[in-house]
Amino acid sequence: MESIKLKKITSVWIIAVLTLFVASIVLGILMRLNQGGVLHQAPITFYSNMTIHGITMIGIWFVAGMAGINYLMERYVKTSYTANLIALILTVSGVLMLWAVTLIGKFHTAWTFLYPLPLRVMWAQWATPTFLVAMSILATGWLIWGISMMTQVLKVYSIPQVFAWQHFKKDPAVKTPPFILISMITLVGVVTCLLVAVLLMALYFAEYFSKGNFVNDALLMKNLTYFFGHTIANEMLYLGLAVIYELFSEVGGKPKWKTTWYVALAWNFTLIFILTAFFHHLYMDFVQPEGFQIAGQIASYLASLPAAAVTVFSVWVAVYRVKIKWTLTNLLFFVGVAGWVIGGFGAVIDATISNNIVLHNTQWVPAHFHTYNILGNVLFSLGFFYWFSIQFTDKRVSEKLSRLILSLLIIGGAGFLLAFYIGGADSIPRRFSNYPAEFTTARPLANIGAVFATVYLIPILILFYNISKRCLKILFSSS
Amino acid sequence: MFKNIVLLLLIFGFCNFADAQTTSTALKEETNIYERVYDAPLQVVGQESATFDELYAQRPVILALIFTRCTGICNPFLVKLKESLQFKDGDDSFRVMVLSFDPRDNLSDMHRLAQNLGLEENEQWAFAITDSISELTQSVGFDPVWDSARRQFDHDALLVGINREGYITKKLIGLRERGDLDLLTGSINNVFVPTYRLQNQNMLFSCFNYDPVTGKNKPGLGLIFLALPAVLTASLLISISILVRRSRR
Repeated sequence: MESIKLKKITSVWIIAVLTLFVASIVLGILMRLNQGGVLHQAPITFYSNMTIHGITMIGIWFVAGMAGINYLMERYVKTSYTANLIALILTVSGVLMLWAVTLIGKFHTAWTFLYPLPLRVMWAQWATPTFLVAMSILATGWLIWGISMMTQVLKVYSIPQVFAWQHFKKDPAVKTPPFILISMITLVGVVTCLLVAVLLMALYFAEYFSKGNFVNDALLMKNLTYFFGHTIANEMLYLGLAVIYELFSEVGGKPKWKTTWYVALAWNFTLIFILTAFFHHLYMDFVQPEGFQIAGQIASYLASLPAAAVTVFSVWVAVYRVKIKWTLTNLLFFVGVAGWVIGGFGAVIDATISNNIVLHNTQWVPAHFHTYNILGNVLFSLGFFYWFSIQFTDKRVSEKLSRLILSLLIIGGAGFLLAFYIGGADSIPRRFSNYPAEFTTARPLANIGAVFATVYLIPILILFYNISKRCLKILFSSS
Repeated sequence: MFKNIVLLLLIFGFCNFADAQTTSTALKEETNIYERVYDAPLQVVGQESATFDELYAQRPVILALIFTRCTGICNPFLVKLKESLQFKDGDDSFRVMVLSFDPRDNLSDMHRLAQNLGLEENEQWAFAITDSISELTQSVGFDPVWDSARRQFDHDALLVGINREGYITKKLIGLRERGDLDLLTGSINNVFVPTYRLQNQNMLFSCFNYDPVTGKNKPGLGLIFLALPAVLTASLLISISILVRRSRR
């Protein structure tokens, strides 16, 4: 069972994630208000905010997923507290450096830090090396954490068992829990993309310190950047899904889900194809060979659609004409799966080459990734956070408050996203700090987005208060 | 059984969605780059006949493809080009070659066009026709489509930048601003254009290495870097599995 130390460190992760989430939402609202012409930030301030907003969101929901699977993994294998602690310390250090780099140093390359932007210093001199060091620290900490969890799982399950290959035959002797299967498949992807990050940082450092004696290939750097960025943004979703596979039925008072041949097959597809789906970020790069572009489109389908199909099927079977105990946890999971699927459809539309020609770099892009994050992955983790926090207390969020929280999340989230989707369909470009008058709908849409984002923030603050209060109690309790 | 049917339907639905796409639009500006333009014989208004390579050998060429009976983009396209290049009057680092791709056009049609634009005395501009237009348009990736109902060509407003060696260095489609034309005139004069990075001996890990002799890309060391992390993870997975099994024994 979960140790006291694990409960305490998980509480710290949750409080840290929620605090940074609230701060990042505020930055997002400020950005939309600036795009709407209500605020007048300097472009550098806007892009610095955009950079830290993106990096923080990716980082926090990744560690939220990792903390979630680490906590639940203790049910199956003994996990390493030291690795968890190292990851926490290095994450806090990295995040502090990144906030300093962007808010004080005015580093503003966007979270994608596409080559050669970080090396074209248009900010404080110290910001570029500090940014590279911060990213290296984060990658190292998370790599240690990921490899540690992989090792612990492999102590109990063999390689064929962790990937559930025995389920392709009838009546397997050893049954792999879906949680172990999805966690392991995700960890393999996580470790791969973090190794890419380490390589990427090494290449940046090499060019930065070589004073012109070594230059990087822009195509290689862009491929590596999206190999890391796209993969980690997807893997964090799968971390959330591992939690759902473990908890959804349990919270509803039903037997645990089991691994079947099609669940194993779908997730093995994800294991293989998620590592090449990032090619869809390079459709506009004419120097990338056509074969890679086609591979990117096919991989985008095969990495996501089978896993989405089996998950939707599993959730649907679990709730359709079945009496289950609904709590805030499984309601958040349920809405999260819907958000993930809707956002996923938006992503697959954008990953289709013929559509990408039209949608590339329009607001469709933030529309789809915000969908599967704010109405998908965030809800997965919030569901876990809430479930975790009520494990050690009798007090629950009342049914009335739960209903209010969910309603505001859906209304706020849907309105915020709709403003992006309509903007995307109207070919409004993304990442503009201010919109010229020619984009007639851009400003009103940005302001509508900001209003709905504020509505979304209200239930987040309620949950932040509720969950953090309980987590603090866990943190300072002696038993 | 019921569950399996629903699952199959769901998968079928997702797969259908995946098929719902058409052939991608080509990135036309990127086609035929660094290929040689066809050496067509030209009849130039007010000048002696010449071949294309004689012209671009004198100075790089910006080729504008139009036809005089055009009721669509051609006229605004040329007016915009003239307006954008007015600050480069007298600049002898390039020549603008306005070439008709309509076999019906003759030299007097082109002369009239030059007069209408007020460019017949401008040495920077040349107006020409050729009897090898299909070979030339093919070499620059220009594909006008004849619409017999309107008796008009459906075509792009295309500018092709050709350097002194006859290579296409850049293409622009549509009515473009001065900034884009500066990149075009820069590229035909072999000036560094920031959108493309030239080969550099300090670049050790290119994904592909361009061979100007064959015009083909060869795989470079950078591709290994793309595969390396996945190989490392697989090795790590197998190593950990072996090590933990040994320690268990």
